[in-house]
Amino acid sequence: MHGRKAYELVKEFADGEKGHLKIFNNELFERVIEECNEHHNALQSLIRKMQEEGLEVQTARNAEHYGALIHHLSLIRNKRCLMAYVYNRAEIIRELAWKVGLLHELPGEIQEKFSDSEEQYFKDHSKSLKSYMSQLSLDVNVDMVPPKDPYIKVRVLEDLGSGIILSDKSANFARHSMHFLKRTDAEQYIARGLMEELTG
Amino acid sequence: MASGAGDWSAEQIDDYETLISTTDVELLKRAWRNEKASPEILPFEEALVKRAKEQIQLMEETVDDFAESGHDPLIASLYQMDLDRAQFLLRSYLRVRLQKIEKFMFHIWKMDTYRNRLSIEEEKFTERCIRDIGKHLEETVLSKLPDNYQSVLKQSIISEEDDMVPEPQLDTFIVAKCERATRPLYLDGSRQSASFDSRNDHFQMVPGDLCILRYRPFQEELMSGNISLV
Repeated sequence: MHGRKAYELVKEFADGEKGHLKIFNNELFERVIEECNEHHNALQSLIRKMQEEGLEVQTARNAEHYGALIHHLSLIRNKRCLMAYVYNRAEIIRELAWKVGLLHELPGEIQEKFSDSEEQYFKDHSKSLKSYMSQLSLDVNVDMVPPKDPYIKVRVLEDLGSGIILSDKSANFARHSMHFLKRTDAEQYIARGLMEELTG
Repeated sequence: MASGAGDWSAEQIDDYETLISTTDVELLKRAWRNEKASPEILPFEEALVKRAKEQIQLMEETVDDFAESGHDPLIASLYQMDLDRAQFLLRSYLRVRLQKIEKFMFHIWKMDTYRNRLSIEEEKFTERCIRDIGKHLEETVLSKLPDNYQSVLKQSIISEEDDMVPEPQLDTFIVAKCERATRPLYLDGSRQSASFDSRNDHFQMVPGDLCILRYRPFQEELMSGNISLV
């Protein structure tokens, strides 16, 4: 069935939770690529057949022409599906680059869902963002939500020890300890899931 | 409220309001709102961003001075709050633009009108974005496809136009607030013409009016500052 596999690929992405990645479906992906090449072979053999019959490929409107057209359209459709799959995943990867890529390595459980090329893309894009910020000497990845209060109350979720120095002071950030910090300082730790904001 | 206003003449209040509405913070806020609400990327407010950055730096110094001199901590924290808000505004403005670039990079890059709207840094960023995603798509998909189907911008070699480039949807609806009285406008964006009298579907916006409009026909009004987006 023409285009079925490509459809499954896109569907798989669309069914996923918004903003979350599944493991790159290499098997299905390669299958669609294969299908593209099969279409291309069929397309070329049809064109060859037309040429052998001495028909003008551009203008002839016989069975072979329409057969070739179908193969061409199927191929294009597959290409669009493949591109959509990769491109939409790339969008999520960019979002991750915004959130964590600028400061740290990605957690392993996300990284293993990437293909090799996606891993590279994540690094490249993080670098591009970084270089933009350094040219401007302004971090644009903090302050993601409009500030209400310059200080917020946070709870430390993982043992961070006392190694961290915030803009003005250092403190012992043992697990479960609670602190009253500058929002700009705390934000990056919250983004990485090391602290949580206490509200109310 | 009433007693306060009593000391002011209407003219003075008007003056005061114009003054307030032209401070850099207000201008930045407007630029930020416009950028957030418009589907396409708008011209970069270079001078404004430069001024905002300078002012933020100045504010940072003031706050530091306060902290050092052991001034009233409440005042210091009020300054800090003001500073935080200004910084958020600036960062968010730049961020919204970058996100638009990420989304429409190919489109922005090939259209001179859009490209000229970028700052130098944004231009470099766009270039890198295109290079990175190009490489990624090439490696993952395109290099594995038959020869005639390897373009990032076109579906196949026989496509005459770039038919794989995401473009902003300009026919979307926006909420526009009038800043300065406009000339008579038509909903479809056509200009005043000889047939002006024969059409009665024109309307005029006066300052403070709120209208929900289609974005495309009113681009010019936005650029000229007659309307702003909310």
